[in-house]
Amino acid sequence: MKLELGFIEIKDIQFSNESKVENGTLFVNADDVKAFVYEDDDVKACVKSVCFDIAKPGESVRITPVKDVIEPRVKVEGPGGEFPGVIAKVDTVGSGKTHVLRGMAVVTAGPIVGFQEGIIDMTGPGAEYTPFSKLLNLVMVCTQVEGVHQHEYEHAVRIAGLRAATFIGELGRNVTPDETKEFETLGIREGLEKYPNLPRVGYVHMLQSQGLLHDTYVYGVDAKRTLTTIIYPTETMDGAIISGNCVSACDKNTTYHHQNNPVVADLFEQHGKTLNYVCNIITNENVYLADKQRSSDWSAKLCRLLDLDGVIVSQEGFGNPDTDLIMNTKKIEQVGVKTTIITDEYAGQDGKSQSLADADPLADAVVTGGNANMVIELPKLDKVIGTLDYVDKIAGGHAGSLRPDGSIEAELQVITGATNEMGFNCLSAR
Amino acid sequence: MKNGRDFMIVTNNPLVEKVLSKYYEIRYLPEENYHAILITVRDLVYAGHKLYTHPLSGSVKPNETPYKSVVVSKVPHKMNADEAAIISNCVEAYDKFTPRNRMLSDKVLGDFQLIDYTLLCGAVDYDAAAGLSKLDNQI
Repeated sequence: MKLELGFIEIKDIQFSNESKVENGTLFVNADDVKAFVYEDDDVKACVKSVCFDIAKPGESVRITPVKDVIEPRVKVEGPGGEFPGVIAKVDTVGSGKTHVLRGMAVVTAGPIVGFQEGIIDMTGPGAEYTPFSKLLNLVMVCTQVEGVHQHEYEHAVRIAGLRAATFIGELGRNVTPDETKEFETLGIREGLEKYPNLPRVGYVHMLQSQGLLHDTYVYGVDAKRTLTTIIYPTETMDGAIISGNCVSACDKNTTYHHQNNPVVADLFEQHGKTLNYVCNIITNENVYLADKQRSSDWSAKLCRLLDLDGVIVSQEGFGNPDTDLIMNTKKIEQVGVKTTIITDEYAGQDGKSQSLADADPLADAVVTGGNANMVIELPKLDKVIGTLDYVDKIAGGHAGSLRPDGSIEAELQVITGATNEMGFNCLSAR
Repeated sequence: MKNGRDFMIVTNNPLVEKVLSKYYEIRYLPEENYHAILITVRDLVYAGHKLYTHPLSGSVKPNETPYKSVVVSKVPHKMNADEAAIISNCVEAYDKFTPRNRMLSDKVLGDFQLIDYTLLCGAVDYDAAAGLSKLDNQI
């Protein structure tokens, strides 16, 4: 399967009467985006209001509470469309040609529950911890129709964000990309014949799947209802996997992370040079222990069936997923396949505690995304998009986190993407 | 298939008690905190009760939400070392989080109850939304 990505560099976003991409500037008519978003019945029924704002790198702006971050893309050639099974029909994606509006994102914000979390600072020390401070962000602040259940509202805001990203992505359909790249995954036999001497490497991609506000969807299917399976890496680039995860801001995988998975990018970079990148294996992180056993058994089984020499395993979240991570790693090692895991750490504020809630001697190759308990201080910024009402309650905040002068003292956990467990950031440990 | 007849839910979450007590055996401990629920579960697992759900379910941190629900077997079977290790690690993980002193509003408490309830429902294959609708109709 081969996918061509055409990158259109977005260098500025402006509100305008007309929506278009011209000379690297995205012009947005907010009313048109809103009308498209509200064509969905669930959005109509559950979302009281949607307001758009623009946040640019370097501006004194704090966005909070953040729900999802999405990169606008559009399928210009080949089967399927963006976010299959959710926005587009459920056709298989990952081949043909897709245009990417690079350098920007659609960010959904506004509370889903009363302890909603996630901060993106566009300047200052907080900006250093989140990759999204480097993007031009079109922010959608949503509010809830009174009386609507949280699970209905979460679904509606998820759809609203994806619809807005679809609308914006569509504006890039007829724009000539600034750069084009090809990504190809060969069939099993083809790969073996072409790269007989390279190690066969796969990626075990663990998907958050615990329940309300902790979900991931694959072609529209709730990942907790799935068995461990194989997916082409290019399918994830085309929006086959989307985030419904609203908790644990620092180490949740937003839809943007799935679209731009750095493990996939780096494995493709090495494909045909130092390794043969065979495929991705997606598996879940359910709460029920027998589900964990089944899913990790299947991960190991597929690794063996595919005759892999090594895999990278990435997890999403804290606590419960640590057990899946270790079960996967242990079982995959036991069938003779080498593993390297990517995680983050909850090692206490002093960094001295055990980092994970589970461990095993076979998990001896670990890459860390940083310690989520580390205490940071964020200065007051001039403008808040969303609301600061939840800062005292979010993960990593505490009573008095939000000081009278507008500054915030909290754990790193509060920042969206800070300790991402795909390695989509710069934090590490030595 | 999940054997619901063997489930016992250990919880301090009033929403779980309210919605699920008709369908499952519940050890409801409203006065106990998150940590005490973990300790209760640990002692049950040590006594041979099977651990059915992960005690650190949810990425809402242990010092953030006051509520915790864990499913174990109604009766003791035989102590399972892996399950004992999981619950012991969870107690250790809990201790890493700095306690917070804050007053939570009823709305926030309600949302924490809801999250714990829905994670539990997902684990035991109970339709969380249907349970909430039934509750709405009773009110």
